[in-house]
Amino acid sequence: MRTPLIDRRDFLKAAGAGFIAAMAPQAWANTLGTDAVFATAFVKRDGSYGAAVLSEAGKLLHAIDLPDRGHDVTFDPVSKRSVVFARQPGTFAVVFDHQGRDRPLTIASITGRHFFGHGVFSTDGALLYATENDFDNAAGVVGVYDARAKFSRVGEFPTYGMGPHELLLLGDGRTIAVANGGIETHPDYGRAELNIATMKPSYVLVDRITGDLIEKHELPAALHQLSIRHMDACPSGTVWFGCQYRGPGTDRPLLVGRAARGKELQLLDMPQDVLSGFRNYVGSVAANPAAGTVAVSSPEGNSLAVIDAGNGRIVATRALVEVCGLAPDGSGFMATTGAGEIVEGNGTTRSEPDYVWDNHMLRIEQAA
Amino acid sequence: MLKRFLLALVLPLAMLGASPASAEVKASDVIQRAIDGFVRPAYASLHQHAEAMTTSMRALCDAPSQGALDAARAEYSDTVEAWSEAEIIGFGPIKESNRLERMLYWPDRKSIGLKQVQAALAGKDPTATDPVQLAGKSVAMQGVGALEFVLYGDGAEALASKNDPYRCAYGAAVASNIETMAADVDAAWKKPDGFAALWANPGPQNPLYRDGTEAVTELVGVFINELEMVRDVRLKGFLGGKPDADKPKLAIFWRSQNTATSLAGNLSGMDTLFQASKLGDALPEDARWMAESIHIQLTNGIATAKSVNGPIDKALADPAQRDKLDHFALITSSLTALIGTRLTAEFGLTAGFSSLDGD
Repeated sequence: MRTPLIDRRDFLKAAGAGFIAAMAPQAWANTLGTDAVFATAFVKRDGSYGAAVLSEAGKLLHAIDLPDRGHDVTFDPVSKRSVVFARQPGTFAVVFDHQGRDRPLTIASITGRHFFGHGVFSTDGALLYATENDFDNAAGVVGVYDARAKFSRVGEFPTYGMGPHELLLLGDGRTIAVANGGIETHPDYGRAELNIATMKPSYVLVDRITGDLIEKHELPAALHQLSIRHMDACPSGTVWFGCQYRGPGTDRPLLVGRAARGKELQLLDMPQDVLSGFRNYVGSVAANPAAGTVAVSSPEGNSLAVIDAGNGRIVATRALVEVCGLAPDGSGFMATTGAGEIVEGNGTTRSEPDYVWDNHMLRIEQAA
Repeated sequence: MLKRFLLALVLPLAMLGASPASAEVKASDVIQRAIDGFVRPAYASLHQHAEAMTTSMRALCDAPSQGALDAARAEYSDTVEAWSEAEIIGFGPIKESNRLERMLYWPDRKSIGLKQVQAALAGKDPTATDPVQLAGKSVAMQGVGALEFVLYGDGAEALASKNDPYRCAYGAAVASNIETMAADVDAAWKKPDGFAALWANPGPQNPLYRDGTEAVTELVGVFINELEMVRDVRLKGFLGGKPDADKPKLAIFWRSQNTATSLAGNLSGMDTLFQASKLGDALPEDARWMAESIHIQLTNGIATAKSVNGPIDKALADPAQRDKLDHFALITSSLTALIGTRLTAEFGLTAGFSSLDGD
């Protein structure tokens, strides 16, 4: 389990490829000013599934079919390919380019594992990391795939918790942050949650080269039913996370928090009316480095909120039916909804009523 | 297609009472009918049955006999049936204090509950025979699953004699704990200013339901989530794609032969809830057929489940009975499409993100 997954020298060589999350705000502003595309999974009203690439104006540029419902998309700027992961407890991920030049490549999960819907590439594009369920042992793992060998599975390491969901590669190019939702599921019982009374979510930092645990943080015991699920990182290195509460609906726990290296998790105090608007469920978290803001969305509460990443204050809120997908767009955020709407950062709204946009959206720089 | 989307825009307003349309149905009326016509009676019935079950367990412990054991088992099965109807309302008071998991810890994939119950029986743990102390122990030791093992598991026949007073005392404590939880939930739903008042009075100041659409979404979600649960978790947990993939020992309540009772009870609860709420009255004229179709299919599903008899492993081995379980799965799929897609489209509620767990 502890054997290095790639040669250390290769890693050090690759690490020079660029630390995107460490770019200065002005560099980010320049990046955000250029043409970008957005990738997201969707369900069509006829019941079919797919993943799409949208233009900045929310126009559908390219789409692929999926055998079942997808979840998040990740992108490799080196090979310019995206990967869309099946929604849990799905067993596939599909690699595709945005022009349809190559036939999409399907990655199947191995026996005894299924995907949780999220993944990330190493900075050099050589390896793909995906959160997976070692379901017979009720243990979270990160599966490692060799992007240069048809995405063959070359190893795995533990997430040191149950039910891992989103993962991020931090700015050092080496540390992977994982949100362990804490919830046990087993494909024999579909998406049923098996340990609500005893669940224990955590936020961990793992060394992607050695698989070693660097840091592990849990919420206070009274909040053990607050599942940490989604995250995004600010240029400062602070990771923002959003939670979903599995306790009584009449409770109103805080749902958004910050994680900084070496420090305890910090939940963000919010005005009651904003918090109530989430109905104990944050579905997506996205940072806008140029604007210094973070947005969180709630498809259950039909609302989204934008937070000042510096002082933690709410900058804006918006009611939007079944909003979930979020990505930075200009000085704001593009948002997609389960009702088929695409709202640009400047507020322009486009409707594709045939599409139920899935939970997440990824901004992809064209120049990249 | 266009018409459907226009309806989707208009109906939520009608349900809020903001439209003067003749078909106006207020969300608060629908919810109040659901509470008075289903939720309160269902949890009151569970309370009554749990009380009778506790009485019968104590009678068994006081004077063990085959007759007393049979009586306790009958009360247990009645309680399981009442629970199966009520459990479709898995929010509100039942979610407080982990009651939902304490009442039914299932599936017990790693046999945690079984091991803990067996350990208590083997070690004759005195604290497990006190209902108050039991309530603070592992959720797997204190609900209907634990009591099923006491009444039907290995060694249960000793309950008919004076040979295992500890087993009986532990069973009586579990029954009493179930009764306490059922009584608390019953009382909480009955409270005029409790959770029922929150659900039935949506509004901007309401912390849980800010408008009629959110209140109705909670109601419609019961059908969508529970149909998925009954089919994908309860049924497909033991019914394989082919007979050689069947896992009879993963069936809920297999020891007490209440698997089919439980499946039927879930659908029976849904039928009563749908009828009582008169949700169908909120449908436009040309979509009223959906309400009738939902009722017919639920009735059909209940009858299909009830026609599966005897131990579940025997039923699975009998092609005719196994076909019935397949048919039951088909009915629930059809109901999912009808309610999850068509009915929600009529009400302008899309359910894509709210099925069984978002992500």
